[in-house]
Amino acid sequence: MSTLGRGVLGLEPDLYDSAVPPRPLVGAVAELYRYRALVRVLVQRDLTVRYKRSFLGVTWTVLNPLLTAGVMWLVFSHLFRSRIPGNVPFLVYVLAGLLAVTYFQQGVANTAASLASSASMLTKVYVPPVVFAFSAACSGAVNFLYGLVPLLLFQLALGVGVAWTVVAVPLPLLFLLLTIAGTGFLLATFVIRFDDVLNLVGVLLMLIGFLTPTFYPVTIIPGAFRHLFFLNPLYSYVGVFRYLEYGGPPPSWICIPIIVGSGLAFFALGLVVFVRRWPSVAAYL
Amino acid sequence: MSAEATIRVEDVSLEYRVPRHHASSLKETVVRIARRGVHYEVIRAVRGVSFEVQAGEVLGIVGGNGAGKSTLMKVMARVLPPTSGRVRVRGRVSPMIELGAGFNPEQTARENIVLYGALLGRDVNAMRSRCDAIMEWAGLTDYLDMPVRAFSSGMLARLAFSVSVDVKPDVLLVDEVLAVGDSAFQQKSVERMQQLIHGGTAVVLVSHQTDYIVDNAHRAIWLDRGSVQEVGEPSAVVEAYLEAAGVAAPAPV
Repeated sequence: MSTLGRGVLGLEPDLYDSAVPPRPLVGAVAELYRYRALVRVLVQRDLTVRYKRSFLGVTWTVLNPLLTAGVMWLVFSHLFRSRIPGNVPFLVYVLAGLLAVTYFQQGVANTAASLASSASMLTKVYVPPVVFAFSAACSGAVNFLYGLVPLLLFQLALGVGVAWTVVAVPLPLLFLLLTIAGTGFLLATFVIRFDDVLNLVGVLLMLIGFLTPTFYPVTIIPGAFRHLFFLNPLYSYVGVFRYLEYGGPPPSWICIPIIVGSGLAFFALGLVVFVRRWPSVAAYL
Repeated sequence: MSAEATIRVEDVSLEYRVPRHHASSLKETVVRIARRGVHYEVIRAVRGVSFEVQAGEVLGIVGGNGAGKSTLMKVMARVLPPTSGRVRVRGRVSPMIELGAGFNPEQTARENIVLYGALLGRDVNAMRSRCDAIMEWAGLTDYLDMPVRAFSSGMLARLAFSVSVDVKPDVLLVDEVLAVGDSAFQQKSVERMQQLIHGGTAVVLVSHQTDYIVDNAHRAIWLDRGSVQEVGEPSAVVEAYLEAAGVAAPAPV
């Protein structure tokens, strides 16, 4: 690569000049690319550490959404069973919805908290801090894929079958990853600065979870208000995942621009805010 | 001023803004802003420091606790952005600040070597193939696949030191980590450092072991409350520092 190209892309690894301001968007994306091997190592570490430490190991990732879905089935199935779109078993409907919503909730919280939890490394060795945040979001995506296994098994066991379109799941998952990473970047510098932001974020994430139809059908909302759901990008994601996983009702075409747009917009906005704010919070780690 | 210097620190200051009432939660801050009362205490950890380090040169930094030595090291390590002034560092930096702090206790030495190497921006595949050599150099061959949780602090420090100096860095920042391992390993690490210095690595040493600075540094800086008190010949700078600190200078041998 030419010297000019390296400079423009921020790929010049061998000169640090504090007087050169960081380029929020292109610079940060280039650094994520340059440190991709570290992202992979960090994701592997996240996964191995999580599974080595627990008694049931990898099964927890699988068991956790199952138990939550079981609780929701106990509480809500009588209320909503007959109105689930697509006539699938309530458990499958809930599990498919939970998979995406749980990834969003845990992913945003982990990404936002990732810098504080990696402080021991970040305060000693220079690594673009965004690398740590992005790896946290990526670990969640791997967990999503693990969680897909029991969902598909339940679909088979309960006679729903698996739609061949399931092979396309990674595509919306990629945009969900970008949305989650971006939202996490947006919050991360505030989490470092103020101890209690994470609590507030937890409450907001719970609210977003309830505003997404996981355990209730969207038909319980009066028709005139139903389009308001599109303001919540997770609604579109959940609809598309259900369609791809078990052939749920085809979602509106508007879901595609919402998914692509929210992914790119949140990611770009989060990166810019993060890189701009980082110098003023670095000393708080 | 030479354009070729590996490290150039120009009039660098670093300030921490600490809320006077320690409002570290958002709720408190909002309450205080509503009452118009967030006052920040500015702690100036480093004040207008300038120096250069050439390739193959060893700079020693001495000073009491809280003099700003470690903060200055973090500014050079690119971990803390300076509040004002300019820092330029050319080449690959290997920071040896609190050795092994980045290790994950649940993972094996092998996994940690790869992680540490990736943190230092090295090629991960190359790190994988260097694991055996690194462990052998550290004298820890038998422990390669053991979780580092089981390592003693001396073993951890040896491991971290060995990873840091496995590939020749252009800049080595050494913060109080000279007393690594037993005397045989210390001898080995001093030799490795000399090798790196002859190979053109610029080294910055922070240590309270002033003898070590006198013996090994080409130049020294005495920092006091963030500012440079004296620069020059290590023995003279160390003597001035020890005198000011009220410690009798060691008798010349």
